[in-house]
Amino acid sequence: MVPLENYLVLSAIVFALGVYGVLARRNAVLVLMAIELMLNAVSLNFIAFAAYLDPGKITGAIFAVFIITVAAAEVGLALAIVIRLFRNRATSNVDEAAILKW
Amino acid sequence: MATEVLWWIFAAAIVAFSAGTVFSRSVLHSAIFLIGSLAGVGAMYLFLTVEFLALVQFLIYGGAVTVLILLALMLTRSDARGTPDAVNGPQLPFALLVSGGLMAVLIGVAAGTDWRPGGVPDSPTNIGIETISERLFADFGAPFVIASALLLVALVGAIILARQEEGE
Repeated sequence: MVPLENYLVLSAIVFALGVYGVLARRNAVLVLMAIELMLNAVSLNFIAFAAYLDPGKITGAIFAVFIITVAAAEVGLALAIVIRLFRNRATSNVDEAAILKW
Repeated sequence: MATEVLWWIFAAAIVAFSAGTVFSRSVLHSAIFLIGSLAGVGAMYLFLTVEFLALVQFLIYGGAVTVLILLALMLTRSDARGTPDAVNGPQLPFALLVSGGLMAVLIGVAAGTDWRPGGVPDSPTNIGIETISERLFADFGAPFVIASALLLVALVGAIILARQEEGE
């Protein structure tokens, strides 16, 4: 049987890869995809804890449901912003979208 | 035993697909690797015997979210292809350092912590759809309704943001 630690280590690796993607990538859509990886690693962690340690109340699985909901809303909004940015400035490079920086 | 072998195959596939997502030079390849990674996490939910969430994962992530991302990629197709300089920023060494350090810390904590005094069960307990629905609709009813309102607001907001305005 697969112990709990395996799931935790797997989600740690996926989360770290997501962090790398968010920090290193320049294209806004690629940054968003790395954020999706991080969200998935977190829900895997929540569900693993729920299934191993909390089978009666399964709060972790409920959290995962809400993570999926909020992630869907977030992707829709973020992609609308990316398309807007591309239309106004002809770029999807996050380094060039710096008008709010001073 | 067969479960364990399958688990390791899927875990290796998830790590490989995730690495492909963040290291690939072509944005389209990244998106396709992302689909593989999300599907692999859905398979992990099956190993954890949460069938309902596995289905939700396949439907929402494998279907809706990846279609959205692919559409956005095609609508914003521009520069940023080919050379690593165009895809990755100058902060790449820093990003490697931070994510590598974070991975080391997380793995150390995950492997070194005693998660429950008296030991963790060897195998996951089956989480049935009845338990999920009871918890979701009885105890988390208010957050559930708020989440639906959030989805509606996000939908309207996305339409307003992406809409072509007159005189533009």
